[in-house]
Amino acid sequence: MSINKESTFISPGKRPRIVSIGTANPPCKYTQEEVAQLFGEKNPRILQFFRSGHIKTRHLYLPELVNGIIPEESNQQLIDKHFNGALELGSLAINESLAPLGLSPYDIDFFCCLSTTGFLCPGITAYIAEAMKFRNNVYRADILGMGCNAGLNGLQHVTALTHVNPGKLGLLLCVEICSAAYVYNDNLYTAVVNSLFGDGVSAALVRQNDSDTWEKGPCVVDFESHIIMEAIGAMRFELDNNKLSFYLDKDVPYVIGANVEKPINRLLGRHNLKRRDIHHWIVHSGGKKVIDAIEYNLGLTDYNMRHTLSVLKNYGNLSSASFLFSYKELKREGIIKQGDLGVSITMGPGITIETALLTW
Amino acid sequence: MNHYNTLKVEKEGNVVTVYLNRPDTKNSINMQMVNDLTNLMDIVEDANDVAVLVLRGSNDVFCSGIDFHDFSLDKEQNIYGLQKWEKMCRRLERLNKFTVAAVEGKCIGGGFQLVLLCDTRIAEKRAQFCFNEVKLGFLPGMATFRLPKYIGLGRAKNLILTGSAIKADKALDWGLLDKVCEQTIFSETLKETIDCLLPFHPVALEMGRRLLNECYADTYENYIGHFLAAQNRAINSEAFKKLISLNVSH
Repeated sequence: MSINKESTFISPGKRPRIVSIGTANPPCKYTQEEVAQLFGEKNPRILQFFRSGHIKTRHLYLPELVNGIIPEESNQQLIDKHFNGALELGSLAINESLAPLGLSPYDIDFFCCLSTTGFLCPGITAYIAEAMKFRNNVYRADILGMGCNAGLNGLQHVTALTHVNPGKLGLLLCVEICSAAYVYNDNLYTAVVNSLFGDGVSAALVRQNDSDTWEKGPCVVDFESHIIMEAIGAMRFELDNNKLSFYLDKDVPYVIGANVEKPINRLLGRHNLKRRDIHHWIVHSGGKKVIDAIEYNLGLTDYNMRHTLSVLKNYGNLSSASFLFSYKELKREGIIKQGDLGVSITMGPGITIETALLTW
Repeated sequence: MNHYNTLKVEKEGNVVTVYLNRPDTKNSINMQMVNDLTNLMDIVEDANDVAVLVLRGSNDVFCSGIDFHDFSLDKEQNIYGLQKWEKMCRRLERLNKFTVAAVEGKCIGGGFQLVLLCDTRIAEKRAQFCFNEVKLGFLPGMATFRLPKYIGLGRAKNLILTGSAIKADKALDWGLLDKVCEQTIFSETLKETIDCLLPFHPVALEMGRRLLNECYADTYENYIGHFLAAQNRAINSEAFKKLISLNVSH
């Protein structure tokens, strides 16, 4: 038995901070029962997914009813829904993040946008830059198709750019109009997806600036990635009557559970930290089973995951946008103290587990 | 081994024995002891060569409860010290090693709480258990949460609200203790108790204990999800792989 060493975490010096965030959802919110009813669902095996109880409500862009039920949407209608949603919710989330800093879109130097639920050319960054009057020399990157883990992949990009360019303002925008990737058929796989994912957009402003203090938000200290290559097919888009349909293997939660310790141990280990040193866990609201798997494999409790669970309950799985919704809940709670440490975990196709270390 | 003002710690093989050790105050619990126990928990949690943590008293007393010297009338009382105690208790309850409470003599208040946190609880015949806090005008910590799960709400109300003491035999009868023996054979009984716990499969222990601790507080629908996540971890652990390889080779 060795002598205990006190936590020897060394503050990282100058690192970019998440200085503000914003979120937005479609105006219409539905209970799970309402969604099942609107789709005219009668199959008891499919209805059980809607009645599981872990999700209460989701914000969705659903089309006008025809004869009391939701009509099938064409490919073009789904593409339009993604485009319009990205512009509407993207602008709302960006404005919400800029307002507390007294800044405008013109002040943004780097703009990284993520989306898995639709494809546009030019990309969302171009449309939003045009609509919101960004500067015409804004650096832009559109990251597509990375799935639920992408929020941290995008944060890696914005953090790296702002770290080497102190004082510059980076914007991360996670746009997930999941209802634009719904396919409605009698398949149980699509039923899982249709009962789980919600529409939402989140934005984070990142900046490395000496005048920003911990009250504004956490420094992004480090990242650690993990890809489980043998499970590359476990979460993927497939074509269903020429529409993209998301496939989710039933083993995904267990594969993630069995692997989540690996990146976490590497991330914490190189900063001389233990899991017990972490004050806040900001975890993607993937679904109840994957949340259970992470809890039991990392020794976390429902309390550690309270925001992850509440985001799942109130919004469903918002794909890459969800971890910033959890961070917003944590911030609203008002319990963060100077010097606190946080870990964020996002999981998605690949199978990918992304992690980040934060400090306030 | 770290030196503690309030604890004596011994290690023999893979067993660490912690003696609550404040002879002047009959091993009462003060803030220093809470800090010492928390520090010890860090060490034991990280030690790969420890399987069992035994908690004992000293000088014929397990623990006389809370030490009021940490409180003062000069300042307003606050909850933070007691919160730190509860945090330490939770760490002990979820420690990644087997935990054994071995009680000799009186076991009062916070000492009784420590006993409730352990996986296995034994005592010698003269041991006595009592929550005297409500009688004195405060509360016995989260014993109000844990005690009824061991003995039922009626008996828990009686013990906590009246402050009455029970002897070891009754505690055995009620399921609070797993074994009671004569003081003369206490060491042998403790050794047998530890031997019964081994071998040590850390994943199975952590998962099994966590599910047991949660069993009264969850719906079946939530619990089955937790169980499946825990079982998946257990069947992917080193211990289970070894078991399968042994069975395959036979």
